[in-house]
Amino acid sequence: MKLRYAGWLVAAGAVLAGAMALSVSVGEADLPWSLALDLRLPRTALAAVSGALFGIGGALIQSVTRNPLASPDVIGVTQGAGLAAVIAVTAGLPYALVAPTALAGGLLAAAVAFLLGARSGFTANRFVLGGVAIAFALRAGIEITLTTADAIDAQRAQIWLLGSLNGLGWAEATPLAITLVVALPLLAMAAWALRTSALDDDTARGLGARPVGVRAAAGALGVVMAALATATVGAVDFVALVAPQTAQRLARTERPPIALAGVVGAALVVVADLVARRLLAPTQLPVGVVTAAIGGPFLIFLLLRARRA
Amino acid sequence: MLAAQGLTVGYEARDVLAGLDVTIPEGKFTVIIGPNACGKSTLLRSLARLLKPRGGTVLLDGVPVDGQSPRHVATRMAVLPQTPLVPEGVTVAELVGRGRSPYQRWYRQWTIADTEAVASAMRSADVTELADRPVAALSGGQRQRVWIAMTLAQQTPILLLDEPTTYLDPAHQLEILTLLGRLRDEGKTVVAVLHDLNQAARYADHVIAMRDGQIVEAGAPRDVIDAGLVASVFGMDCVVVPCPVSGAPLVVPL
Repeated sequence: MKLRYAGWLVAAGAVLAGAMALSVSVGEADLPWSLALDLRLPRTALAAVSGALFGIGGALIQSVTRNPLASPDVIGVTQGAGLAAVIAVTAGLPYALVAPTALAGGLLAAAVAFLLGARSGFTANRFVLGGVAIAFALRAGIEITLTTADAIDAQRAQIWLLGSLNGLGWAEATPLAITLVVALPLLAMAAWALRTSALDDDTARGLGARPVGVRAAAGALGVVMAALATATVGAVDFVALVAPQTAQRLARTERPPIALAGVVGAALVVVADLVARRLLAPTQLPVGVVTAAIGGPFLIFLLLRARRA
Repeated sequence: MLAAQGLTVGYEARDVLAGLDVTIPEGKFTVIIGPNACGKSTLLRSLARLLKPRGGTVLLDGVPVDGQSPRHVATRMAVLPQTPLVPEGVTVAELVGRGRSPYQRWYRQWTIADTEAVASAMRSADVTELADRPVAALSGGQRQRVWIAMTLAQQTPILLLDEPTTYLDPAHQLEILTLLGRLRDEGKTVVAVLHDLNQAARYADHVIAMRDGQIVEAGAPRDVIDAGLVASVFGMDCVVVPCPVSGAPLVVPL
């Protein structure tokens, strides 16, 4: 690992730890630390772990497609999860079933994009364009469902669509954290395999790699991580676009670096959730609005800095 | 040992190669020549198992190549494609290091042997002083030497190159061909597709002349390259005289 990358990993980790500590200590009331930990750590932990999944999922999808604009919402994962969730909410399914339904919807949409992308070896336009088409069709489905739904259901569904951590905690954070830990060896393998498989296919094959298989597996892993996070906290997915790009520009690597993208994503969602809770307190903003408001300008800043360099 | 038997390769409806038999002589510099679209790149890419043949087999060490693990094949035979994509932000040393991939696993990524192989590959291709430069910032000639260094880091007895001199100016073309000749002297089996007949005549030990997906003739340049072959393969009238420098056949178009 290069020194520059390791340095940024440590720095981003420190920012994440600081943001988590701040997020736990700041709130409606001044609480003693132990009580604040009990009450606020679950939500903060969920913010961190879902942000990490978004960041890692985005990094994998962008590496596989060699497209910095590719993210779960570009290949239809978010919209598939969204449509499934909206249907679940408006159909009056029990709350506990909304997230699993959303997960299934997200994975289904991605599976269709994968089928379209398989013929081009999961790079470039075919995969991404197919995903964009699926995303638009699903978005239309979401709008139709929302306009025909009962007003209160529609509002609940809207909040889910924007992404929100309100009222969530350990019950949601724990499965995501377990997923992340279980996936660690797979991520290490993916990061390694993408080193050669991100070269052009002929060169990669010459080096004994199986580039199409590696890209399919790494892409599937990224989709599962992003779909899990989306199903849990809703469509906070500007994170999946901006965290990998930020990590890549900070560390100046050839592909979005997986670990740093995870840490940056986690820090971004923790900070965004803190802002969402406190900016217009006692009104709580949906966290997805804030991630876009923070992440967008930051990416623009990095792009401008890169042009000067 | 690299050979092909009854090799049939095609794209969509068309067979580019139909039932080709080829043997690549060991420890020699073999050059495949022929007009555009004669199937010479297709032959090289099939030998390099970058294309899946419709029929016939490629034999590596006497064993069908598609039955061997890609990783093992990559320790026996290295390939340089025609226009490899240059990854952004990667330094020369890192790219040459990718050549060690077939020897590595995700849980055992780098050993002393890798460091030594990379250093020796960079020395051989004369790119040691470029080690820390980003590949994307290099000139065409330097870049080609870096790619060759990457294939050398694979430490394979066989090296296949698809038009390694295209897009280079004459001085850099000669530099690459001289490097390939030196690698042959060190014991490697080198196979390249070249466009320039005279370069093939001068640098190759063995020439394979192709037309319309068939091998017209194969052998040492002095035995093979004459006015008749050039007329039948390229449809071009010429005289062939001995090269004043090397004595190899020199094709002068009329």
